[in-house]
Amino acid sequence: MSTLQEKINHYRQLFTDLVSRVKEAREAEELRQLFLGRKKGHLTLLFEEFKNLGPEEKKTAGRVLNELKSEIQNRLAELEQKFQAPARARLIEDPTLPGQQLYWGSPHPITLFQREIEKIFISMGFSVEEGPEIETDYYNFEALNFPLHHPARDSWDTLYINDKLLLRTHTSPVQIRVMEKKKPPIRIIIPGKVFRRETPDPTHLPMFYQVEGLVVDRGITFAHLKGTLEYFIKALFGEKIKLRFRPSFFPFTEPSAEVDIECIVCSGRDPECRVCGGSGWKEILGAGLVDPQVFKNVNIDPEIYSGWAFGLGIDRTAMFAFQIPEIRYFYENDLRFLRQFNRR
Amino acid sequence: MKISYAWLKEYVNLNLSPEELASSLNQIGLMVESLSQLEEDTVYEIETYANRPDTLGHLGVAREVATLLGLSLKSRNWPLRELAKPTSELVDINILDPQLCPRYCGLVVTGVKVGPSPDWLRKRLEAVGLRPINNVVDVSNYVCFSLGQPIHTFDFKKLRGSRIKIRKARKGETIRTLEGTQVELTPEMLVIADETTPVAIAGVIGGEESGITDSTTEVFIESANFNPVSIRLTAKKLGLSTDASYRFERGADPNAAPLAAIMAASLLCEFGARASRGLLDVYPAPRKPRAVTLRLRRINELLGVEVEPDFVVKTLSGLGLKLKEQSPGLWTAEIPSYRVDLEREADLVEEVARFYGYDRIPSAVTPVKSFELPADREKDRVWRLKEVLFHHGFDEVINFSFTDPEKEQLWQTGCQSIRLQNPISTKLSALRTSLLPGLVDNAVWNFNREAEGVHIFEVGNIYFWEQEEVHREKLSLGILTTGLRSGRTWKEPEKETDFFVLKGAVEDVLNYLGYEPVSFEPATHPFFEPEQALKILVKNEPVGVLGLLSAALARNYDLERPVFCAEIDLGELLRKQPRPFAFQPVPRYPGTSRDLSFLVDENVSYQQLQQQLQKLNLPYLEKYQVYDRFRGKSVPPGKISYSVRFYFRQAGRTLQTEEVDRAMQEITAQLKASLKIQLR
Repeated sequence: MSTLQEKINHYRQLFTDLVSRVKEAREAEELRQLFLGRKKGHLTLLFEEFKNLGPEEKKTAGRVLNELKSEIQNRLAELEQKFQAPARARLIEDPTLPGQQLYWGSPHPITLFQREIEKIFISMGFSVEEGPEIETDYYNFEALNFPLHHPARDSWDTLYINDKLLLRTHTSPVQIRVMEKKKPPIRIIIPGKVFRRETPDPTHLPMFYQVEGLVVDRGITFAHLKGTLEYFIKALFGEKIKLRFRPSFFPFTEPSAEVDIECIVCSGRDPECRVCGGSGWKEILGAGLVDPQVFKNVNIDPEIYSGWAFGLGIDRTAMFAFQIPEIRYFYENDLRFLRQFNRR
Repeated sequence: MKISYAWLKEYVNLNLSPEELASSLNQIGLMVESLSQLEEDTVYEIETYANRPDTLGHLGVAREVATLLGLSLKSRNWPLRELAKPTSELVDINILDPQLCPRYCGLVVTGVKVGPSPDWLRKRLEAVGLRPINNVVDVSNYVCFSLGQPIHTFDFKKLRGSRIKIRKARKGETIRTLEGTQVELTPEMLVIADETTPVAIAGVIGGEESGITDSTTEVFIESANFNPVSIRLTAKKLGLSTDASYRFERGADPNAAPLAAIMAASLLCEFGARASRGLLDVYPAPRKPRAVTLRLRRINELLGVEVEPDFVVKTLSGLGLKLKEQSPGLWTAEIPSYRVDLEREADLVEEVARFYGYDRIPSAVTPVKSFELPADREKDRVWRLKEVLFHHGFDEVINFSFTDPEKEQLWQTGCQSIRLQNPISTKLSALRTSLLPGLVDNAVWNFNREAEGVHIFEVGNIYFWEQEEVHREKLSLGILTTGLRSGRTWKEPEKETDFFVLKGAVEDVLNYLGYEPVSFEPATHPFFEPEQALKILVKNEPVGVLGLLSAALARNYDLERPVFCAEIDLGELLRKQPRPFAFQPVPRYPGTSRDLSFLVDENVSYQQLQQQLQKLNLPYLEKYQVYDRFRGKSVPPGKISYSVRFYFRQAGRTLQTEEVDRAMQEITAQLKASLKIQLR
């Protein structure tokens, strides 16, 4: 009896030692074999020994032996569960933990706004044209009916490279380039970078973006210009936006117009409005019927064809649309500014 | 230009409120930028245009308003108290250059008492923001802002001799102007001179010596017309813009010259002076009025609205045009000399439209008669490229095309940079020859503002001289990645960016756009650390570079973290034909994969492995991928351990194990023979 009891104590201690070192399911299985293996398991052998005991001894030894067996079985069952991790992982431990997010880069707000504009015109059957940023005086001014040494040039303060080349001050030279190589009907928009000799301040920079529109065909009228621009502005700013056309002057259009839209910030109600200065209107684009001299310069007969054109500052319009107070935000490229726009 | 309501009333009986006047002015394009209420007046800041010098005086604006309201202009009398002495006995006007001075009028006023102007005159000037000085100067300003015709007054006694010469300046001549600055004159500048020296720079500014002072008693009034271009060039050259030059360079009305002189003399007479008898008026080649044909049909064709002929006649007559009807709906219009902008039929159509009201012209849809297929999908491809980069977590930036030439030198882009003739500042005086300096600036800016990682790209032009006199602008793509890629979360530790983040983005851009084959070659480039850069080739032609920013450049920007960047010549790339998209059938039979783990000498590059595998003809090999690469304790020194998984597939059937085994044997044999790999 004492021998068996000693053995039981010895194996209990051994099991406790070994079980604490078990790190994976395989080791737990080995441990099971070692103690409960059908032929040579330590416990199996102890039960063999137990059979040879007298009835009195059997009573106490049987209880102790069965206790040890269930202890070992329970402990192994626990381990088994523990190592069944794959099964457990199917359950969400704490669904309130934050999700795993994926960062998408953001388009630059100018790109974004330009695309919105392009999409509206493309839906009206326009195609998109581009042209060089380094231009000649002829394309930038002369062909667009700006006489040499005329004060009209003052509003287009120019950065020159040399006596022949300059940085285009507007996207209008592309009108000329397109009309030179293509005959009407023409129905295009021209987005792009333009440059002016402007000292940087909250609303002016020496580089900004414009989009130009040009339609040339037989029978094009001022009414068509109005209708198209009204649709465009409403598509961009919403159906309720009010706009007005008023006469203006551009050397390359006649008649010329400027288009104001209702101030989306104050709707004319705030006399101190930072955006519209209290006038209730915001100047947004210049437009007009193509000047007959411009047509002559590209060998299009103004008696047969007419057309309209417009030009819009993308930066300034985006500033207005998104209520961005300073134009330079666009070119500082602060990620905290830029990254807001992939939410749009 | 400031316009006073009270001043306008000198010319037209306005019967509308100041606010109503503002909206009338807006309707006809004299845009009111602001309106301010004075005690007895309302002042409008109106926008004027370079082609409308007639609106630079109250008379011109009154004419517009009167036409809109259907009112007529008041006629005003300018009586003179005349001396017995004819002007011609006092002065002799010699125009030596009638090209530059088509008309010159003048007369002398004596008995002038220089002193403060009467109240009404002071108020007028103050209303439009002019400072009253003395009655003589105030009168000339009043005339200028009434008629838009600048005049000049000389102290007659200070003029030497009786002859006034309008001539070009002589070399070396100088004049001290009314502003008190000494000005060097050049021979293309027109001056007003007495017998000996210039006394005024024609149409720009007078000389101090002959200017009006408190002791002036005799005044010579000049009212002339000058060539706009000559005035503009002179004013520009001198860096001066005066009320006079501003008007003359836009084209003053030669026919306003006599009236302006009389008006000034009349006002001085009212203040007690007397005028010499008869205005001297030298106008050697009087300008003939322009005639323009106008068709009613054309008005309607261009505006898209039927305008009544009566409206056309009423409007244009109101503006001072003399209309002669040739046949119904066809007129010849004689253009008044103050309207330099009206030259063609389209100009008259605009006048009709302005007064008809742009808001009354209907809105119509621009008709489409044909659709055109987009000629060029280049723009779509650029957008696609951007989308791939957004997906890779790169933000788009836009930088100025200008750059600092010093910085340009630092980067050694190898391009001859284009300089501006009249830059805003030296820091903005060259055009960029690479996008990367801008991107590095952006990284610095953002690191200085709490950013821990910067992953950005830009698509834009770079500019350079290709040869002397031959400039190029080229579309370029710049990409930069530095710092943390993502912060630490409960699931994952933070991730630092590296070269392969950049390379993967570049590969994906080229791959998704269908440019192939893409290959890389080791490159040496001034932007990058030695042996840390690759040339990017598409169809075996170089299209760009990528690498680790050189330590020297990084130091220059105080950048501590490694910066990886790439620049791709998009002009070159987009010219190449991308692989056309073709649908591939989805495999119906299962493929199989085998792993190969081996040791190879550390000098062997992955590209060499690729090249060896390419030499094999393995029809079933679909692709292969490195899934492990390491060196360390378990790897002998000088070796690298690779694990590569090979994927095999045959379209029409399931592959046999023996076929795959054979392929693997071939692969192993090839790598053993060429690169001496040892299987693990």
